[in-house]
Amino acid sequence: MSNYYEELTQSIISGQLDRVKSLTQQAIGAGNNPIDIINQGLIPGMSVVGARFKVGKMYVPEVLMSARAMDAGMQLVKPLILSEDIPSAGKIVIGTVKGDLHDIGKNLVSMMLESAGYTVINVGVDAGPEKFLQAVKEHQPGVIGMSALLTTTMLSMKDTIELLKEEGLRDKVKVIIGGAPISQDFADEIGADGFAPDAGSAADLCKKLLA
Amino acid sequence: MPVKSNYAENASPMFRILSPRQCEEILLAAQEVLERTGVTVYDEEARDTLKKAGCWVDDILVRIPSAVVDRALRSVPKRVTLCNSRTGSRDVRLEGYNAYFGTGSDTPFTIDPYTGKRQRSTKQSVSNACKVIDALENLDFVMSLGIVQDVPLLISDRHQFEAQVLNTGKPIVTTAHDIYGFADIIEMCEIIAGGEEELRRNPFMTLYAEPISPLQHAWEAASKLILAAKKGLPVVYTPCVMAGGTVPATMAGVLTQGLAESLSGLVINQSTREGSPFIMGGVFTIMDMATTIFSYGSPEFNLLMSCLADLAHYLKIPMFGTAGCSDSNLVDEQAGIEGALSIAMTALSGPNLNHDVGYIEYGSTSSLEFLTINNDVIGMARRLVRGIQVNDETLALDLIHKIGPGGHFLCEDHTMKHFKTETYYPNLIDRQRYESWVETGSKTLFERANEKVKDIIENYEPDPLPKDIQQKIRGIVERSEQKIAK
Repeated sequence: MSNYYEELTQSIISGQLDRVKSLTQQAIGAGNNPIDIINQGLIPGMSVVGARFKVGKMYVPEVLMSARAMDAGMQLVKPLILSEDIPSAGKIVIGTVKGDLHDIGKNLVSMMLESAGYTVINVGVDAGPEKFLQAVKEHQPGVIGMSALLTTTMLSMKDTIELLKEEGLRDKVKVIIGGAPISQDFADEIGADGFAPDAGSAADLCKKLLA
Repeated sequence: MPVKSNYAENASPMFRILSPRQCEEILLAAQEVLERTGVTVYDEEARDTLKKAGCWVDDILVRIPSAVVDRALRSVPKRVTLCNSRTGSRDVRLEGYNAYFGTGSDTPFTIDPYTGKRQRSTKQSVSNACKVIDALENLDFVMSLGIVQDVPLLISDRHQFEAQVLNTGKPIVTTAHDIYGFADIIEMCEIIAGGEEELRRNPFMTLYAEPISPLQHAWEAASKLILAAKKGLPVVYTPCVMAGGTVPATMAGVLTQGLAESLSGLVINQSTREGSPFIMGGVFTIMDMATTIFSYGSPEFNLLMSCLADLAHYLKIPMFGTAGCSDSNLVDEQAGIEGALSIAMTALSGPNLNHDVGYIEYGSTSSLEFLTINNDVIGMARRLVRGIQVNDETLALDLIHKIGPGGHFLCEDHTMKHFKTETYYPNLIDRQRYESWVETGSKTLFERANEKVKDIIENYEPDPLPKDIQQKIRGIVERSEQKIAK
């Protein structure tokens, strides 16, 4: 039965959504353990994709096609497993901060995190401290990620961190930030746990922080 | 003298990418996008204005019938003039194929010419940059080359404008955080110009604003377009789109959607007050799919810039272009290649107000050395665009005959008369013989640029504004500081 896994992995890498769907269906039909399908078929594919992207051998749209194929496979397997058994690298709340509508970077990070196996709760744009606080309370994520393009709106990141402190939740969640005007210095200055310059390294950063 | 019939001459190189029919096709496609898909507008006054103009408004989504776009295209002035704030001279005439060059504004970082380190830009770094731009003969206008970040950030735009206007008389393209910042900056300009009407007649400042791609006009942007129109002051509106990210991956799709974003901004502006001066911008480029950067040096960036210039000429709207910038993280060979290629293509294509000269690191950092090197490149490009005159004087047949085989032209009046205007002599580009290059320290282009930058910072003094006007400007900056302190 391991043939399915090898082929699944290859189909994830080449981003063939329909092929992944039919192979997953076949694997389920042949009586494979759903968790094995995820761990030995789907996830190894995305691991290869992640590694290839990092060294410039794959491009963003190809990575996202692979992620989409992976998700299609997951949707078929998920109903067969108890939700607590579904492998997830962790939960992350992400949004563009208050006063800012720029979201291409945030969406890219969000998709990269999902393709790295994280469950992402995207709170959208123009998200003030209260919105992040509410999402932290509701979803209890391991990490929150804030994005800003403007030097005026990046100040809102500090407000969110302060609000989390006031609510006694700051040590329950890691805070990471990103966007064109953001730097490691700024992250240190406002007391964030990390800064990532791009979507690929945001996933690495989460892995490090949640380890 | 024979009379010559059927004689056509090229007074300059001829260069275009899109044919008139292709321009028309893209315009019509952009109008279809506006009529079918529409744009979101996050400003109530703008939506009301658009509705009155005949647009279809559903909540924040605004669809624009083609007739409304056509009307805006008829009412927008075909030309905008920007002046020197010290002399009042109407130096920058944004019309036709006139190509002017200037810097860019909102980089978070700059390279300190003394330490070589990348640092956050400050009021001092912006002041230094403006002095350097003021001193460089091929730079026609100023943008701050950095965001002032060592002051309260919420009102940093006022400081940024103060740093610019104190250190240069050249026209300024400035950014503002919102209409309140813009209003303060206009007030400063009116003081300098000697009144509201005087500023409108001879503007030396234009505001820069941008939509958010895809197809969104945030409150800040839409309200700036309206305030500029009410004041009768020029505004630059620049969609910054990334192929494959915020617009389609195909170049025609980029142009169509980018143009739709510009035209919807134009409609907001012209619906507020017909005839308001408007400068169509557009930094159209690719998202590099390996690194996700917004590329400032790719061939597609240059190609799209030239295409947009073709469209602007077709539409007869003054255009804000982009050139002299690079994706490289330092001023190296890559920066030189990308800067030169973009300046040459821009000069040939003829967009009018071309910014971002001196940007490195895909628009995140500014470098005064790169700016100073590009000052020479602009000079070279301008020489290229001047082309070649062909007439009796320049054919020089009598002279060729007089010198004949084996003579030389060095001592001729004709040579003396023409060699300096026919030839461009750059400042930093090195043409020394090897031995003298070694004798003068074997310096690289970057080292020579760095020396020149430091020399300007230390020894050049721009024309100052009168003391009382400086104080009034200070007063407005301080007033804004007091407001946020409350």
